[in-house]
Amino acid sequence: MCQPSDRLKIPAMEAGGIREPDPEELREWQAEFEAAARRPLATRLRYAFIHTYKPVLDDAPFRAFDTMADYREWCAKNLPSWLGYGPAV
Amino acid sequence: MAPRFEYAQASEIRDAFARHGVRYLFIGKSGAILLGYPDTTQDADLFMEKGSENGAAAVIALRDLGFSLSEPQAEEIRRGKDFVQLRSGPFDVDLVFAPDGIETFAGAWQRRVEVEGFPVCHLDDIIASKKAANRVKDRESLPRLMAFREYWLTHRR
Repeated sequence: MCQPSDRLKIPAMEAGGIREPDPEELREWQAEFEAAARRPLATRLRYAFIHTYKPVLDDAPFRAFDTMADYREWCAKNLPSWLGYGPAV
Repeated sequence: MAPRFEYAQASEIRDAFARHGVRYLFIGKSGAILLGYPDTTQDADLFMEKGSENGAAAVIALRDLGFSLSEPQAEEIRRGKDFVQLRSGPFDVDLVFAPDGIETFAGAWQRRVEVEGFPVCHLDDIIASKKAANRVKDRESLPRLMAFREYWLTHRR
Protein backbone atom coordinates (compact mmCIF):
# COMPACT_ATOMS: atom_id res chain seq x y z
CA MET A 1 0.00 0.00 0.00
CA CYS A 2 1.19 3.45 -0.79
CA GLN A 3 2.04 5.27 2.43
CA PRO A 4 1.49 9.01 2.74
CA SER A 5 5.20 9.58 3.05
CA ASP A 6 5.67 7.84 -0.28
CA ARG A 7 3.16 10.07 -1.96
CA LEU A 8 4.03 13.41 -0.41
CA LYS A 9 7.35 14.46 -1.70
CA ILE A 10 8.77 17.86 -1.20
CA PRO A 11 11.41 19.40 -3.38
CA ALA A 12 14.94 19.37 -2.13
CA MET A 13 15.30 22.19 0.31
CA GLU A 14 17.52 24.85 -1.07
CA ALA A 15 20.63 25.98 0.61
CA GLY A 16 19.80 28.57 3.18
CA GLY A 17 18.96 26.50 6.17
CA ILE A 18 15.38 25.41 5.61
CA ARG A 19 15.28 22.14 7.43
CA GLU A 20 14.27 18.85 5.89
CA PRO A 21 11.21 17.30 7.57
CA ASP A 22 11.45 13.70 8.65
CA PRO A 23 9.13 11.00 7.23
CA GLU A 24 7.01 10.90 10.38
CA GLU A 25 6.39 14.64 10.16
CA LEU A 26 5.45 14.31 6.50
CA ARG A 27 2.94 11.58 7.38
CA GLU A 28 1.39 13.76 10.09
CA TRP A 29 1.26 16.78 7.84
CA GLN A 30 -0.35 14.89 5.01
CA ALA A 31 -3.04 13.63 7.39
CA GLU A 32 -3.62 17.23 8.52
CA PHE A 33 -3.83 18.48 4.94
CA GLU A 34 -6.36 15.80 4.09
CA ALA A 35 -8.45 16.54 7.17
CA ALA A 36 -8.42 20.26 6.37
CA ALA A 37 -9.49 19.57 2.79
CA ARG A 38 -12.65 17.92 4.12
CA ARG A 39 -13.69 21.03 6.07
CA PRO A 40 -15.56 23.92 4.49
CA LEU A 41 -13.73 27.21 4.25
CA ALA A 42 -15.80 28.86 6.99
CA THR A 43 -14.82 26.12 9.44
CA ARG A 44 -11.17 26.33 8.45
CA LEU A 45 -11.16 30.07 9.04
CA ARG A 46 -12.92 29.74 12.40
CA TYR A 47 -10.06 27.70 13.77
CA ALA A 48 -7.26 29.43 11.91
CA PHE A 49 -7.32 32.94 13.29
CA ILE A 50 -6.29 33.11 16.90
CA HIS A 51 -5.59 36.48 18.34
CA THR A 52 -3.10 36.69 21.16
CA TYR A 53 -1.55 39.88 22.39
CA LYS A 54 1.86 40.54 20.88
CA PRO A 55 3.86 43.00 22.98
CA VAL A 56 4.96 46.18 21.23
CA LEU A 57 3.53 45.04 17.89
CA ASP A 58 -0.06 45.40 19.11
CA ASP A 59 0.53 48.53 21.14
CA ALA A 60 -0.08 51.06 18.37
CA PRO A 61 -3.25 51.40 16.29
CA PHE A 62 -1.33 52.33 13.16
CA ARG A 63 2.20 52.04 11.83
CA ALA A 64 3.49 52.73 8.34
CA PHE A 65 6.94 52.13 6.92
CA ASP A 66 8.37 53.61 3.74
CA THR A 67 10.14 50.40 2.80
CA MET A 68 10.03 46.75 3.80
CA ALA A 69 13.65 47.12 4.89
CA ASP A 70 12.57 49.84 7.34
CA TYR A 71 9.85 47.57 8.66
CA ARG A 72 12.20 44.61 9.07
CA GLU A 73 14.73 46.81 10.82
CA TRP A 74 12.08 48.17 13.17
CA CYS A 75 10.92 44.62 13.99
CA ALA A 76 14.47 43.48 14.69
CA LYS A 77 15.18 46.42 16.96
CA ASN A 78 11.91 46.72 18.81
CA LEU A 79 10.13 43.39 19.07
CA PRO A 80 10.95 40.65 21.56
CA SER A 81 13.00 38.03 19.77
CA TRP A 82 10.65 35.24 20.79
CA LEU A 83 7.94 36.67 18.52
CA GLY A 84 10.06 35.48 15.62
CA TYR A 85 9.95 38.67 13.55
CA GLY A 86 13.71 39.08 13.56
CA PRO A 87 15.96 37.84 10.77
CA ALA A 88 16.85 34.16 10.73
CA VAL A 89 20.55 33.77 11.29
CA MET B 1 -8.05 43.16 21.62
CA ALA B 2 -9.46 42.77 18.13
CA PRO B 3 -12.41 40.40 17.78
CA ARG B 4 -11.87 37.10 16.06
CA PHE B 5 -11.24 37.12 12.35
CA GLU B 6 -13.58 34.60 10.78
CA TYR B 7 -15.26 33.91 7.48
CA ALA B 8 -17.64 36.83 8.05
CA GLN B 9 -14.78 39.30 8.45
CA ALA B 10 -12.93 37.91 5.45
CA SER B 11 -16.15 38.27 3.47
CA GLU B 12 -16.51 41.86 4.63
CA ILE B 13 -13.04 42.66 3.29
CA ARG B 14 -13.81 40.88 0.02
CA ASP B 15 -17.14 42.64 -0.41
CA ALA B 16 -16.02 46.14 0.66
CA PHE B 17 -12.90 45.99 -1.50
CA ALA B 18 -14.93 44.72 -4.46
CA ARG B 19 -17.48 47.49 -3.95
CA HIS B 20 -14.78 50.12 -4.16
CA GLY B 21 -12.69 48.41 -6.82
CA VAL B 22 -9.66 47.83 -4.62
CA ARG B 23 -6.99 45.63 -6.22
CA TYR B 24 -5.48 43.32 -3.61
CA LEU B 25 -4.57 39.73 -2.87
CA PHE B 26 -4.54 37.76 0.35
CA ILE B 27 -0.95 36.84 1.06
CA GLY B 28 1.07 35.32 3.90
CA LYS B 29 -0.29 32.65 6.14
CA SER B 30 -3.82 34.03 5.88
CA GLY B 31 -3.60 33.51 2.12
CA ALA B 32 -2.28 29.99 2.56
CA ILE B 33 -5.12 29.21 4.96
CA LEU B 34 -7.65 30.34 2.36
CA LEU B 35 -6.00 27.88 -0.03
CA GLY B 36 -6.54 25.08 2.48
CA TYR B 37 -3.39 25.16 4.58
CA PRO B 38 -4.24 24.05 8.11
CA ASP B 39 -2.51 26.39 10.51
CA THR B 40 -3.17 29.37 12.74
CA THR B 41 -2.41 33.03 12.29
CA GLN B 42 -3.24 36.28 13.99
CA ASP B 43 -4.16 38.71 11.27
CA ALA B 44 -4.92 39.08 7.60
CA ASP B 45 -2.14 40.15 5.26
CA LEU B 46 -3.22 41.92 2.10
CA PHE B 47 -0.93 42.54 -0.85
CA MET B 48 -2.14 45.85 -2.28
CA GLU B 49 -1.50 47.17 -5.74
CA LYS B 50 0.55 50.32 -5.44
CA GLY B 51 -0.98 53.47 -6.91
CA SER B 52 -2.80 56.52 -5.65
CA GLU B 53 -6.13 55.44 -7.12
CA ASN B 54 -6.01 52.02 -5.48
CA GLY B 55 -4.76 53.54 -2.24
CA ALA B 56 -7.63 56.03 -2.20
CA ALA B 57 -10.15 53.25 -2.86
CA ALA B 58 -8.60 51.20 -0.07
CA VAL B 59 -8.98 54.07 2.40
CA ILE B 60 -12.69 54.38 1.59
CA ALA B 61 -13.19 50.63 1.86
CA LEU B 62 -11.30 50.40 5.15
CA ARG B 63 -13.35 53.24 6.63
CA ASP B 64 -16.50 51.44 5.44
CA LEU B 65 -15.27 48.39 7.32
CA GLY B 66 -14.92 50.42 10.51
CA PHE B 67 -11.21 51.22 10.57
CA SER B 68 -10.50 54.50 12.26
CA LEU B 69 -8.02 56.39 10.11
CA SER B 70 -6.89 59.96 10.66
CA GLU B 71 -6.29 62.01 7.55
CA PRO B 72 -2.46 61.72 7.83
CA GLN B 73 -2.82 57.94 8.23
CA ALA B 74 -5.16 57.75 5.25
CA GLU B 75 -2.63 59.71 3.24
CA GLU B 76 0.09 57.18 4.03
CA ILE B 77 -2.13 54.43 2.63
CA ARG B 78 -2.95 56.49 -0.45
CA ARG B 79 0.76 57.03 -1.02
CA GLY B 80 1.31 53.29 -0.80
CA LYS B 81 3.95 53.04 1.89
CA ASP B 82 5.49 49.61 1.59
CA PHE B 83 4.02 48.29 4.83
CA VAL B 84 1.05 49.52 6.87
CA GLN B 85 -0.09 47.83 10.05
CA LEU B 86 -3.67 48.49 11.13
CA ARG B 87 -4.85 47.77 14.65
CA SER B 88 -7.59 50.40 14.69
CA GLY B 89 -10.49 48.45 13.30
CA PRO B 90 -12.76 45.49 13.80
CA PHE B 91 -9.88 43.09 13.08
CA ASP B 92 -6.14 43.29 12.56
CA VAL B 93 -4.88 43.79 9.02
CA ASP B 94 -1.45 44.36 7.52
CA LEU B 95 -1.35 46.10 4.15
CA VAL B 96 1.73 45.14 2.15
CA PHE B 97 2.42 47.22 -0.93
CA ALA B 98 5.80 45.68 -1.77
CA PRO B 99 6.16 42.19 -0.32
CA ASP B 100 9.63 40.71 -0.30
CA GLY B 101 10.23 38.12 -3.01
CA ILE B 102 7.47 39.18 -5.44
CA GLU B 103 8.48 41.41 -8.31
CA THR B 104 5.19 42.97 -9.30
CA PHE B 105 1.57 43.02 -8.27
CA ALA B 106 0.58 42.45 -11.91
CA GLY B 107 2.53 39.19 -12.01
CA ALA B 108 1.06 38.00 -8.74
CA TRP B 109 -2.40 38.97 -9.96
CA GLN B 110 -1.97 36.83 -13.08
CA ARG B 111 -0.97 33.86 -10.94
CA ARG B 112 -3.70 34.41 -8.32
CA VAL B 113 -6.14 31.77 -7.17
CA GLU B 114 -9.79 32.59 -6.49
CA VAL B 115 -11.31 30.83 -3.49
CA GLU B 116 -15.01 31.56 -3.00
CA GLY B 117 -14.43 35.01 -4.46
CA PHE B 118 -11.35 35.70 -2.35
CA PRO B 119 -8.36 36.68 -4.50
CA VAL B 120 -5.35 34.84 -3.10
CA CYS B 121 -1.70 34.83 -4.08
CA HIS B 122 -0.51 31.60 -5.63
CA LEU B 123 1.18 29.42 -3.05
CA ASP B 124 4.48 29.80 -4.91
CA ASP B 125 4.30 33.56 -4.34
CA ILE B 126 3.44 33.10 -0.67
CA ILE B 127 6.41 30.78 -0.28
CA ALA B 128 8.67 33.12 -2.24
CA SER B 129 7.76 36.05 0.00
CA LYS B 130 8.40 34.05 3.15
CA LYS B 131 11.73 32.83 1.85
CA ALA B 132 12.76 36.37 0.96
CA ALA B 133 11.58 37.81 4.27
CA ASN B 134 13.65 35.15 6.03
CA ARG B 135 12.38 35.85 9.52
CA VAL B 136 12.75 33.29 12.24
CA LYS B 137 9.04 32.50 12.12
CA ASP B 138 9.11 32.15 8.34
CA ARG B 139 12.04 29.77 8.49
CA GLU B 140 10.17 27.65 11.01
CA SER B 141 6.98 27.51 8.98
CA LEU B 142 8.49 26.93 5.53
CA PRO B 143 9.07 23.15 5.65
CA ARG B 144 5.40 22.46 6.41
CA LEU B 145 4.20 25.11 3.97
CA MET B 146 6.38 23.65 1.22
CA ALA B 147 5.01 20.20 1.97
CA PHE B 148 1.51 21.64 1.68
CA ARG B 149 2.43 23.09 -1.70
CA GLU B 150 3.09 19.59 -3.02
CA TYR B 151 -0.18 18.33 -1.58
CA TRP B 152 -2.12 21.32 -2.90
CA LEU B 153 -0.71 21.12 -6.43
CA THR B 154 -1.81 17.51 -6.76
CA HIS B 155 -5.18 17.85 -5.04
CA ARG B 156 -6.50 21.28 -5.96
CA ARG B 157 -9.73 21.30 -7.89
